[in-house]
Amino acid sequence: MRALADLHNHSCLSPCASLEESPSLLARLARERGLGFVALTDHNSALNCPAFDEACRREGLAPLFGIEACSVEEVHVLCIFGRVEPALDFGLRLRSALIPLPYDPEKLGDQVVVDADEEVLELVDFYLGAALILGFDEICAEAAERGALVIPAHVDRPMFSVSSQLGFLPPGPYDAVESMREPAPELRGGHTAISGSDAHYPEHVARRPFAVELPDGASELRGDSLLEALRASLRAGLVRPSWGGQA
Amino acid sequence: MLISELESSLGIGMEVAQGDYSDRELSTGYASDLLSDVMANAKADGVLVTVQAHKNAVAVASLVGLAAIVVCNSRPLPDDMISSARAEGVAVFRTPATAFEVSGRLWAGLRRP
Repeated sequence: MRALADLHNHSCLSPCASLEESPSLLARLARERGLGFVALTDHNSALNCPAFDEACRREGLAPLFGIEACSVEEVHVLCIFGRVEPALDFGLRLRSALIPLPYDPEKLGDQVVVDADEEVLELVDFYLGAALILGFDEICAEAAERGALVIPAHVDRPMFSVSSQLGFLPPGPYDAVESMREPAPELRGGHTAISGSDAHYPEHVARRPFAVELPDGASELRGDSLLEALRASLRAGLVRPSWGGQA
Repeated sequence: MLISELESSLGIGMEVAQGDYSDRELSTGYASDLLSDVMANAKADGVLVTVQAHKNAVAVASLVGLAAIVVCNSRPLPDDMISSARAEGVAVFRTPATAFEVSGRLWAGLRRP
């Protein structure tokens, strides 16, 4: 079977994302716009994943639970799990490694934890957009060890990418690389390249998904079995990215 | 040193990339290419010396209250960086000199007697 997947989406927990972008709105728009598999990947935190899990259940959508981690070199990497608990655990781990920066919600944006009915549960009072004191290699290795899909984000972007911060893609346990356009071979490093919406606003949802070929019946998979099916297809290159969308 | 004096007083090739700012005295300087480091340690009314030429550098500058950004190594400046710097009133200069060279000259110019 072939489905549309999008592994890079933010919610109102990310300081730079729209307040409107609740996990439930993300799930609803993803379904309306034809996505089958969707990951929530807020900056350095998975606290909206429980709400996203419930919202996707209501929409009949297959959820994945991720974090877009920001390394000490300010490289972004997607770390994606099949279940909520390991994502929350990894989030707790990253919490202890966040560089404390002054956080003014007025200037930087609110960081809102909600439930699936958009009720506010918590306002996070430390800045999630900061870098971690963990190196890119360390984060990738630890996420892989915890069973996550490891996908360096927007590798060809002029900021927060392996190309802008390191100048190259170091060898690592990647399941794919995410790119805005077809990446140069050295940024791909022999890995499968996917597109991703990096949605921060409702209008961004599903702007750059990728098509993925999965075993028949995969739309019924959830949790770790879904994650492993996706990993196998990514590693086998059974994808068709949508390049050339709005950057 | 005033922001407007940056261009001439450094004695190196300096191009004004965004000149729409209210002129004022520079307090100090900060050299860094990591935006989280700039956010944590740069001082208001200072000048940032960096190779980070994109609109996030401007966002951090305006957050900290920096007066100016000097982009080194003749890095290309994207249009959206210039337009957001204009909107925020942050001066942007560009030079072929390195961050080391610019910092050295700024240090001499900004040091208080």
